[in-house]
Amino acid sequence: MRFNEKELVSLSRQPSEMAAELGMRGPKKGDVVKKRLVKLVVNFLFYFRTDEEEPIGALLLEQCRVEREDSQSFSIAFLDEAERKYLFECDSEEQCGEWVDSIVKASYEFMRKNLIFYRTEIHRLTGKDPLEQYGISDETRFQVNNGLQLTPRDTCSL
Amino acid sequence: MWYRTFSQVKVNQNDEMIPEFMSQLLVLSCRDVARVVKDATALKTVCELLMAVPLVQVKAACDVEMKFDEKVISYFESCTSPVDKEGYLSKKGEIKTSYHKRWCVLKGNLLFYKDRPADRDLTGVIVLEGCTVQLCESEEQFAFSLVWSDPGLRTYKFAAEDQASQESWIKALLSANHNYLTLLVMDLEKKYRDALVEFPNEPTNPFTMPNFNTAEAFQGAQSSAVPSFPAAGVAAGAGLSSNQMLQAPTLSSRSANKRSPKLWPKRSANVVPVNTPAAAVGEWLGVCLSTKDEFIQLHEDFGKEVKELIADWSKRGRGEEAAGVENLIDFG
Repeated sequence: MRFNEKELVSLSRQPSEMAAELGMRGPKKGDVVKKRLVKLVVNFLFYFRTDEEEPIGALLLEQCRVEREDSQSFSIAFLDEAERKYLFECDSEEQCGEWVDSIVKASYEFMRKNLIFYRTEIHRLTGKDPLEQYGISDETRFQVNNGLQLTPRDTCSL
Repeated sequence: MWYRTFSQVKVNQNDEMIPEFMSQLLVLSCRDVARVVKDATALKTVCELLMAVPLVQVKAACDVEMKFDEKVISYFESCTSPVDKEGYLSKKGEIKTSYHKRWCVLKGNLLFYKDRPADRDLTGVIVLEGCTVQLCESEEQFAFSLVWSDPGLRTYKFAAEDQASQESWIKALLSANHNYLTLLVMDLEKKYRDALVEFPNEPTNPFTMPNFNTAEAFQGAQSSAVPSFPAAGVAAGAGLSSNQMLQAPTLSSRSANKRSPKLWPKRSANVVPVNTPAAAVGEWLGVCLSTKDEFIQLHEDFGKEVKELIADWSKRGRGEEAAGVENLIDFG
């Protein structure tokens, strides 16, 4: 499968607030924890050997399970497969929490759910669909799922 | 003419070999002399001795690709997560320059392409970060391109079937990048907070943190794949499990808004940490809820009389806007 590797490498060089040296253990049996520079850019987690400019690899943070393993470490698993579970060791509980939080919030799925929630609520409260002003209210990705209707604000309770 | 196979050999910017974890290196000369070299020093010596392949060729032979899990990427394309746009596009070849018809699927900031919709194998994927979408000159009609402006980065050219499709694809690709959605969510979050301030007496729907990190990712059939944003007045659904849920106070009916906020059930202690570093990406839900808490307090401090007025008003039926009712709080 082809992918635009150079452009992805270029992306990995973008500044990021979430970049730190963490212990990282690969998913294969026999992999050990190694010090890696781990960097979150948009919905990708890049990992580098320290002081190298090109990442060893990139993890797409969609459809993955992020879990706290213990007070200072977390894991990211893909396809629910043990051979695709990566472990990360942080320096502190606080740092671990920040990483889990950031990774979870990086996915399109998470952003979309928030967006749909806000859209539904704003419409319910104000009677207006906030996406209309942007001309994007019809886009399939912003549709409310599960047959929820956008209900106009019910004013009879006032 | 030299052939090499390497494992784990890289080159740095100066094209010097940085052998790492070299397990085995096989060097074949044009005279079919095979040598197995087991460490970096030996390799360097061998190369020097053999005056073999210039280092440039070495680089070409041993370019180590960045690890990119194709199975995970393929899964993302085929799973039931929402498709932002899909359809046929003609794509200009990356090696040969003729256009090929490809079935393209846009999900988030990834553009997948394959021969036919039902194909399980993906031909490729393009990560849409850092590029612009432009109309372009082409021998094909309805053409547009994805352009990365940094030197050494490429341009992908596409052609749509008609103008409508061209416009639709350009629009979709322009708004596919992560930053666009991030900013949009932040904007809506602010509008939501403003709406809460503006309409304080509306019962708020319980918000349950989307169940993003457990079974739902893999069990598409499970209905809690979309968080249960219930219709007004219904408590949060039971289908959501897992360790990171945040629940706003639950209201069972509209009349509940007349209860003092003090009587609302306490928020679940099982809160996703919202101590994200400030700025950039939102403190969406946490900030949202804490704003509401602050407002609830304010409302409670000043609002007892308002509540009575509202109760009175609803008995009378909703009359003209603000008829005879004065807000004790100046909503500006």
